[in-house]
Parts: sequence; C-alpha cells; structure tokens
Amino acid sequence: MAELVGVYAASHGPMIVRNWKILAPAERENLTSAFSELGRRIKAARPDALIVISPDHWVNFFIDNLPAICVGVGEAHDGPPEPWFTEFPHRKMAGHPPLAEHVVRTALERDFEPSISYRLALDHGFCIPLWKAGLDPLPAIVPVIFNDLEPPLPSVRRCYSWGAMLAEAVASYPGKLRVGVLATGGLSHSIGEPDMGRIDEAFDRDCIRRFENGDAPALFDFLNERLTGAGNGASEVRNWVAAHGAARGRGFELIRYDPIPNVYVGCGFASWKLG
Amino acid sequence: MRDYWLSKLFFDLQSPPLSDEYRADRNAVLARYPLKPAVRAAVEADDVAALARLVNPYLLRFYFLMAGMPEEEFLRRIRATASTPTGASRG
Repeated sequence: MAELVGVYAASHGPMIVRNWKILAPAERENLTSAFSELGRRIKAARPDALIVISPDHWVNFFIDNLPAICVGVGEAHDGPPEPWFTEFPHRKMAGHPPLAEHVVRTALERDFEPSISYRLALDHGFCIPLWKAGLDPLPAIVPVIFNDLEPPLPSVRRCYSWGAMLAEAVASYPGKLRVGVLATGGLSHSIGEPDMGRIDEAFDRDCIRRFENGDAPALFDFLNERLTGAGNGASEVRNWVAAHGAARGRGFELIRYDPIPNVYVGCGFASWKLG
Repeated sequence: MRDYWLSKLFFDLQSPPLSDEYRADRNAVLARYPLKPAVRAAVEADDVAALARLVNPYLLRFYFLMAGMPEEEFLRRIRATASTPTGASRG
C-alpha cells in the first residue's frame, strides 16, 4: 500500500520569478526562507511521487475545452512554456502513470468525473514551487489541474471531497510508494481586475486561522462568504481546500505568510498535520 | 459571457512567433480573426475598459503585457474601470 507522507501548500505568483531581481531585499529573504522550509519538509518526507494541485493559466486549456478538473496520467509532462521562465531546469518531468490511473479509477468509483490528459505542460503554477523549494531531483509528478480561473468554478465543498478522495486513492494504491500532495496558488490576489495589486491581508490571516483550526464546515462557510471578495486569484485557495481534504481536515502548520506587494500576492506556505 | 474570437486571439498570442508577428504587423494578425467591428476597434484603441468586459482577466493582463503597455499604465487603466461594471464574474 502507498503511504501519504506529506501534504503542503505554497503560493506561486509569477512575479516571484519575473520580478525577483527588483523585489525588496526583505521580500526576497522572506520568500527564500518560506520556500527553503517547504523544500526541507518535502525532502524530509522523501516522496516517490508528488500529486500537485494547481490551476492551468491558459496553457493547456481554452474556453473551447475547459475541464473543471484534469488529471495528468502521462509518462512525462512538459516544462513551463512561459518565455520568462527559462531558468526552470527541467524541460520534461516524469509522471507516474500507475498512480495517476489509480487516482482516476478511484475518482470514477466515487462518482467524480475527471478529465484526463496524457501530456500536459506544467506552467508556473506547478513549477515555481517545485523549483524554489529546491526539489532536485524531482519526485514523479501527478498533476491535478483545478479550474480556478474561468467561472463557473468547482465548489469549495467539492474540492475538499476531491482531496479526501485523493487520500483514499493513495491509501488503496496497490504498491509500495511514498506520496505527497502539494497544493499551489493563493492566497489573496487580483489579476487583470479593477483591484489588481490589492492584497487582502485580513482575509488571508483569517483564512489561515481557519485552516489551522481544521474545522472544515466552518472553513467552507468562511470561504463561501469571503472568497470572491479576496480577488480572482484567491480562487486558487480551492487547491488548498483539496489539500485540507487530503489531510482529513486535521489542520495545518503555517510555515510563513507575507503580503508581498511586488508579487501582487498574499504569499502563504503550509504543511498539514497527518498523525 | 466571453467574446470567443477575442479570447482566442489573446490565447493564441501566447505563442512567441505569433506575438512577434503581432507586434510587427498587428493588422495582418487581426485580419485572421473574425472579430466584431466594435471589438476590433477596442483592440486597435487599446481600450482596456471595453476589452475587460469581454475576456478572462488573466488573458487581458497577459495581452497588454505582451503588447507592450507599461505595467503602471495598465494598472491605471484597469483600476479606472472600478466604477463601471466589467461583466467579469468571479467564481
């Protein structure tokens, strides 16, 4: 049987890369510290495979074909296509088809209907956390794309259920495998909207407290009331909710939170309690 | 509602060769997309407010970055839409 060895979350704003050289020194130090600690924890858990939950920023999908949730089942995934992200060291990343197919079969048995892809390009949402956390060599990646960008979006409650199903899939996987879950994106930010650049620190800190407490129904109520007011990018907190579900709502330990104006994002990093 | 062909144009412009061509000869690229006249006029006028009502905000932000509008200018224009409905719904 496979073992769930860690559940994590990390922000992924593209300005972390694009603006890195012009970030304030304290911003760089805070991000470096957060990603380093995230990487230390993931490496200590020694995952053979990492299920990474992230949105697709108009790389693989368009409005002519826009899955709510897609699982990458291929042997390999392409590196980030963004022309500003050439520093990322991998043009190709290994997948884990047996685990990915087991996730898809478990999903269907539990009345979820994911889309599947045999070849995804993993954009900055996936690759900034993997790179900045210093995961080299990378574990095998099973990408799970949530539509966090183009409404209508999956419900918060459904995302939690997805995470719980992922944990069930890991537990029932017929093979010896150490598996981690990494959710990327959030916290508050707004892109291409009238409040672009606004960080809702009050929302972020309240949101973090609710993830720490581990009370899933209270978290759903809070997010259903407040998520749309925290910027369109805050929709990516759905991925964190899925991670919360994978950890059975046990609550998380905050690694670091900083509102970083030059990244436009309230940047949060966390790992969940599993024991 | 999204405008399909405007969205398709912005989506396609993520391709570096097409974005190079667009910056060199915008009309040649626009001619290949059946944009409604009002939509094409908004593109030609760099009308952030009008286009914001028609495409996903991430594609809008990408487009003006690709097209070379300075970040401060884009922020000024998109923030000026705050008092008018953009039609952009959030999830």
